[in-house]
Amino acid sequence: MATVAPEIHEAGPPAEPETDVVGLSPRQLFWARFKQDKAAVAGLVIIIVLIVLALAAPLIAKLVGHGPNDLFQREMTDSFGVPKGPNADFWFGADQAGRDVFVRAIYGARTSLIVGLVATGIAVFFGTIVGILAGYFGGKIDTAISRTIDVVLSMPILLFAIGIVAACGTTGCLNGLIEPGLTLVIFVIALFSWPYIARIVRGNTLSIREKEFIEASRSLGAGNTRIMFREVLPNLVAPIVVYSTLLIPTNILFEAALSFLGLGVPQRTPSWGGMLSDATQYFRFAWWLMFFPGIFLILTTLSFNLLGDGLRDALDPRSNR
Amino acid sequence: MLALSLLLALGAAGCGGDDGGDEAGTEASEGVDEGAEPGGTFRTQTDAFEWTGNFDPTGEYLATFLGLYQNLLGRTLMGYNHVPDAEGNELIPDLAEAEPEISEDGLTYTFTLREGVMWGPPLDRAVTAQDVEYAFRRIATPALVAQYGFYYLGVIKGLQEYSDAGGLTEDPEGETPIEGITVQDERTIQFDLEAPTGDFLYRIAMPAAGPIPEEVAKCFLTAGEYGRFVISSGPYMIEGSDQLDITSCDTMQAISGFNPNQRLILERNPNYDPETDTPEARENFFDRFEMTLNTNAQDIFDRVRQGQLELAYASEPSEVVREYSTNADLEDRYQINSGDRTWYITMNLTQPPFDDIHVRKAANWIMDKEGLRRAWGGEPKGLIANHIVPDTMFNNNLEDYAPYATEGDAGNLEEAQNEMRQSKYDTDQDGMCDAPQCKGVLHVTRTTDVWANMAPIIEESFAKIGIELNTRQFEDSYTIIQTVKRQVPVSSTPGWGKDYADASTFMVLFDSRSILPEGNVNYSLVGLTPETAQELGATGTVEGITSVDDAIDSCNELMDEERLDCWQELDQQLMEEIVPWVPYLQGNADFVISDAVSKYVFDQASGDPAWAHLAIDQDLQQ
Repeated sequence: MATVAPEIHEAGPPAEPETDVVGLSPRQLFWARFKQDKAAVAGLVIIIVLIVLALAAPLIAKLVGHGPNDLFQREMTDSFGVPKGPNADFWFGADQAGRDVFVRAIYGARTSLIVGLVATGIAVFFGTIVGILAGYFGGKIDTAISRTIDVVLSMPILLFAIGIVAACGTTGCLNGLIEPGLTLVIFVIALFSWPYIARIVRGNTLSIREKEFIEASRSLGAGNTRIMFREVLPNLVAPIVVYSTLLIPTNILFEAALSFLGLGVPQRTPSWGGMLSDATQYFRFAWWLMFFPGIFLILTTLSFNLLGDGLRDALDPRSNR
Repeated sequence: MLALSLLLALGAAGCGGDDGGDEAGTEASEGVDEGAEPGGTFRTQTDAFEWTGNFDPTGEYLATFLGLYQNLLGRTLMGYNHVPDAEGNELIPDLAEAEPEISEDGLTYTFTLREGVMWGPPLDRAVTAQDVEYAFRRIATPALVAQYGFYYLGVIKGLQEYSDAGGLTEDPEGETPIEGITVQDERTIQFDLEAPTGDFLYRIAMPAAGPIPEEVAKCFLTAGEYGRFVISSGPYMIEGSDQLDITSCDTMQAISGFNPNQRLILERNPNYDPETDTPEARENFFDRFEMTLNTNAQDIFDRVRQGQLELAYASEPSEVVREYSTNADLEDRYQINSGDRTWYITMNLTQPPFDDIHVRKAANWIMDKEGLRRAWGGEPKGLIANHIVPDTMFNNNLEDYAPYATEGDAGNLEEAQNEMRQSKYDTDQDGMCDAPQCKGVLHVTRTTDVWANMAPIIEESFAKIGIELNTRQFEDSYTIIQTVKRQVPVSSTPGWGKDYADASTFMVLFDSRSILPEGNVNYSLVGLTPETAQELGATGTVEGITSVDDAIDSCNELMDEERLDCWQELDQQLMEEIVPWVPYLQGNADFVISDAVSKYVFDQASGDPAWAHLAIDQDLQQ
């Protein structure tokens, strides 16, 4: 006869009804915190709208019937060449060449976002690797990298950028590797952006490398490369994401500054900085030339900053604003 | 006439005295004369100093300089009265006491200098024939880059040989005399020419041919250096000239009143004797002259409006043109004179895709010239240009000549594509430039507002025929396009005004003998030979470029109507058979002045305000 183990009931008071405790994944925790930050959510929404607009720029141009470089000078400037303001066909008015400011502003979003995202991406990629190497190995490698970062950060960045763009802006540099135009602008911005990420990554790596799980990993025979990229790097995602988000608006403004100075993207490529530059001679009587690209630029940078702040709070609740 | 036109739609009413103003949509200004009184400071601002030779009279070729120098700073053997219209183009003896003696064969000119013309401080001595001779040695010194040296080299006997030997050196002992220049005594100088040159007196009136003191200039044998040490022989001098220590070359510090990128401050030259001059030529009302830089053109016009400046030496923004053109109260503050000046887009015959004449013709067909004129400010800025030499200089004989005329001057896509189909750069004959050379074509232009406004119109026009421009704006765009090695394919930077009242002064732009490695004004490199190209370091399509040198020489030998006809034919040949330019505007000379300007006169010869005749009412200055 088979024996059956008796059920064991511990003696004690009757159990209270269980409260409905639900475990949250880190992602859910992040989202729960993030969505409480209304400003950050608003920033995210605006960024999404901008990205959609940028992606749909050709479609919008087609719908409006005006390309970014189509000239409507006869219709949209007077006989003295003074541009005309917003109307039913040109919602944001026209510039001095009779180009549709609305369409150019939308195309300008493309330029700003491409430059901002790509330059930041390059800076993050390079800065992360350099920062991890410095923080993980320490010693001479750290000293060399840290001093290099110090040197780059001590440079008058805008002046250097102007110099490089001016020097390479005609025929390119490095045997054609760096071509004039958008590529050059992205290269220059990335060149001066990586130290910010590198410094943050280095600092965090210095802290993480002392953790027990790193020691455990090493004792299990993991090599440096594995530890850096499989153990340390995942723990750097939060600060990298936060600071990348904050770096994007800086780089967008950097591009706008270069374009404002006539050293950014080629003139046929609409950019907010270039539009603002063109507007300077007309702003007193053609407010729309400065207002619309200015609003776009402000909204974009503000949105990225709000998003960055929100991400920081959500990813690292211990941090103080 | 005057070389590199600055940003202004300057101009000079023309040679032959046809003001042409009405047809430009403007009326030639009568000027302002409300009772001129001496004294005060005349203040003007420019939005860009664009010296081509750093203010050195030997090398400087900017219209601005010509006007300032001839009116205020320097005396040349022959000069002008600095007045508008035909009278303004008439030569008068200036440093010379009378017209020169000219030999019957037209080969020898003998000038006698006036007594009493003195160098300003710190020299304080009489201007001599040796000073004039020294100026020509400088012209013939390659290192000093005399940008219009072609007016003299090969014209005055022995000058080319002197240049070929290297010109001035630091060792004066080793120099050879110039065969065709003889200093007979301190006040007499003789020029012997290679061949009769009908416009030689005009050439003598150019600033480079004016006297230069050796004791100062000998220290500056590199192009442009002397520009900061210019000693005056005219009614004004650069502020601080009297502080210049000329004890030795080492003790000389740049004169404080001139910084080529910031300011030009002049004050009265204490050694100037009005008895050596005439009030018809120079009245010299103000005591002090200030021209400073203000890169904000709008601010310049605001300051003029508020009485803080007397004249805006900048291209008027469109709304300023509109305001002054449509407001009756401001009408007499907007001075417009017709111009002997052509604004154009230059195409380099050696650089693809412009090394193909069909591309150049297509560019002429497609260009939206009216669009470009609007970018300047519309009709008050001048007539649409359809050929090289302004109509006024041909007595309007070519007024109806427009080989690439299009409806509304807006460009004609069909004609342009028809032309493009014949080009080797249109590989599928669809009327579009589709070869790789058609992409990213460097287009050099200026940074100032008008050029920034024009850029999209030029880009869009070229894009219609498949040429994608890579527009780059440079503050020193003239220097860039004047350097042959830069090999700029296309540029909208230049304008050209007469140096003097003869169409020949436009044709020098196409004379292969005027091509220089630096300071070159034959931007299109018309007539370039493979040998010259090798010397200059020019590459690209350097073979088979047509030369018009013989045609220029032929015209230069002629006089009067025959001469005029000859230049007209050459103009047409250039426009149809060589096509180096897209001319788009025969520019007016327009200036906005303040209420404090009590006397305004236009200087036809220089295409600028007649500084020597301007006066101010100090009570109205702010």
